[in-house]
Amino acid sequence: MPVSNSFRSLLPVLLLLVLLALVPLLSPSNRFLSLAISAGINVIALYGLSVLFGQTGILSMGHAALVGIGAYTAAILARDFNIGFWLSIPLAGIMAAIVAALIGIPSLRVSGHHFVIMTFAFGQLLSIILTNGGDYTGAASGLDVQQPVSLFGLSIDVLTHYYLMVVFFVALSAIASWAIINSRYGRTLRAIRENEKLAASLGINVGRHKIGAFIVSGVFAGASGVLLAYFLRHISPSQFSSFPSIYLALMVMIGGARLLLGPLAGGILVAFLPELLNLDPVQSRILYGVCLIAVILLLPNGLIAGIIAGWHRIFDRRPAQPSEPAVEREGK
Amino acid sequence: MKSVLLRGATVALFLGALAYPALAEDAADTIKIGVVAAESGAFVSAGHTLPAGVSLAVKEINDEGGVKVGDKTYKLELLKRDDRTDISTAIAATQELVRDEKVAAIFGSETHDFTLAMAKITQPAKVLHFAGNSTLAKVLTDSSVASGGEDHYLFQTEPQEFQRSGSTARGVLKLLEPLVGHPLKKSVLIVGNDATGQFLSSYYLAALKSEGQEVPDIIFYPPDTTDFSPFLTRAKSLKPDVVHFWYNGDSTLTALPQALELGVAPSYFLFGVDPGIWKEQGLSADVPVAMSCVPVCWGESSNPKAKAYFDAYFAAGAPKGVTSSVSLLYYDYVHFLAEAWEKAGSLDPDKTVEALKTLHHKGVVSDDLAFNATHQVTHATEVCAAAPGGDITCAMQEPPADAPKQ
Repeated sequence: MPVSNSFRSLLPVLLLLVLLALVPLLSPSNRFLSLAISAGINVIALYGLSVLFGQTGILSMGHAALVGIGAYTAAILARDFNIGFWLSIPLAGIMAAIVAALIGIPSLRVSGHHFVIMTFAFGQLLSIILTNGGDYTGAASGLDVQQPVSLFGLSIDVLTHYYLMVVFFVALSAIASWAIINSRYGRTLRAIRENEKLAASLGINVGRHKIGAFIVSGVFAGASGVLLAYFLRHISPSQFSSFPSIYLALMVMIGGARLLLGPLAGGILVAFLPELLNLDPVQSRILYGVCLIAVILLLPNGLIAGIIAGWHRIFDRRPAQPSEPAVEREGK
Repeated sequence: MKSVLLRGATVALFLGALAYPALAEDAADTIKIGVVAAESGAFVSAGHTLPAGVSLAVKEINDEGGVKVGDKTYKLELLKRDDRTDISTAIAATQELVRDEKVAAIFGSETHDFTLAMAKITQPAKVLHFAGNSTLAKVLTDSSVASGGEDHYLFQTEPQEFQRSGSTARGVLKLLEPLVGHPLKKSVLIVGNDATGQFLSSYYLAALKSEGQEVPDIIFYPPDTTDFSPFLTRAKSLKPDVVHFWYNGDSTLTALPQALELGVAPSYFLFGVDPGIWKEQGLSADVPVAMSCVPVCWGESSNPKAKAYFDAYFAAGAPKGVTSSVSLLYYDYVHFLAEAWEKAGSLDPDKTVEALKTLHHKGVVSDDLAFNATHQVTHATEVCAAAPGGDITCAMQEPPADAPKQ
């Protein structure tokens, strides 16, 4: 029953998202909704990063720059071509994918730390280009997004509606990520992650698939950028420099990149932890640093994988699961 | 499956509990106003001055009995929110203040980008919004501030940049020239390359040129620069009479010792560095150094009201910082707004806007604070100069009437 087995990994995510979609019934504060929307937008980008990092084993420190490509594409399409939100989503996804390919082709000739450095540099470079882009990019001041968002005549600009829309896009991203993980393509990516040379010896075109994974992650990032631009209504280069990319990498590492619940957990934790514990940015960074070290040392597959392993150890009396329990099963 | 549902429900209940808003108190006799500023994070230096200045004004107004609107007197209730120098937090805080707390007015933020994003929330909700970003000139136009316009309730509490740059350039050159001992003809700008830096430097360049200065180059440095030697070496090669450091006071204080060591110029100007910091940190230079404050200096001032204000400001617990004077871009406008409510005889935002546009308020910065047709104020800027011996001279410099021709 391979299909039902693989669907079991998606089910908890969908159930959690259904429950999250019901949160507006509890009349949450607008502050909560606003933070939840920001977290959800990050989670969409994180699903892309999880394909790249979790499945292919490539860590990018320039993912926020691809989000920026999506956001600026949406803002420029709205300003210059009067193209609204819904058409911007696929167009920005395509644009971010193209940029990811352009960056990926030279960058993925190197691997490991060198690739991380190159993607980091890409983030900085994009910020410089946007800052010095004159009126076209709004220079350092950035761009406004004026177009309203509506669906079948219903305004989505209301915070609750926007929240529900973001939950919907998170669900789509999770399903897309699940489909990739459980496809032949996903298995190919995992083969590359586990042993590049062995994968190449089996006839897999490693370079092409790595660039492909980078492009796929760009599509997620581009869509997330559109949602961000239409939520904030004003974007500027500083939002997409290297520092936000480090945060995205941190989120995916803390939550766990290999399980579907990982990006969701990482995005929510990093967004709400400073709020819950009333931490200032310095304290937050210290806490994230400690969490990251703890995760790397104690839970190398992320928090969710660690929790699942702990659960089984305590309640099922089963031996601790290997890394990536669901995915490994699905991949076989 | 059952356990999955159970776990999911637990998570949802937990999130729901977090989300539930606090029960609102009966606030019939209070007017809520909000502040969104960076009380932590990268912009804390300027950010903490906003809530400090607004708090002081609110306390003074409440101590004097409150705001009399029509036949009813209201106390002001201040709600402060830290944006942690993070735009998502700034937006969440604004959403909370506007939609949950139903504030009548918002002050902040000190960051241009954040203010523009915040205005997308405050303006449709008809919340009066005051921000001390001269960069708002980009959005405050005749059509945008007109009734029904997208920024009808947005006010800029800092003079238009051609005015601030004009008065600063004139004041700097006027104070430095006698100290240097020869005419100052050539200036070089060293500017932080971000939204504010790009915007400000374009105006300051025009202001220097209108004062007859030759400006061979504007040198931009990345905002987090600590080693300025490449930029300073470039500046030195241009043989300037004055090097003008714009705009970040903290970066400027890092750059100046390096410039003095390299002997880049016979005089310097430090934008946004208060003479108070100059004295507190025991700084000295073997060449004249001019400083300017936004808008009035706390360490040494020629403004008669400034001393009393800053005594009260620091006595209330605010720290002495490079940009403490920025608090005045907000303090005066809380009093201004209270006066507008009293004049309008109503809390109606449209009537308040009309009152704000016709009032002339006696503030600390000026005895005649008034908003122009595009919701911007005009007032003088204070410029000081430290002589090599350590003596500091200050002067309020009035702004030019018109923008220089580009």
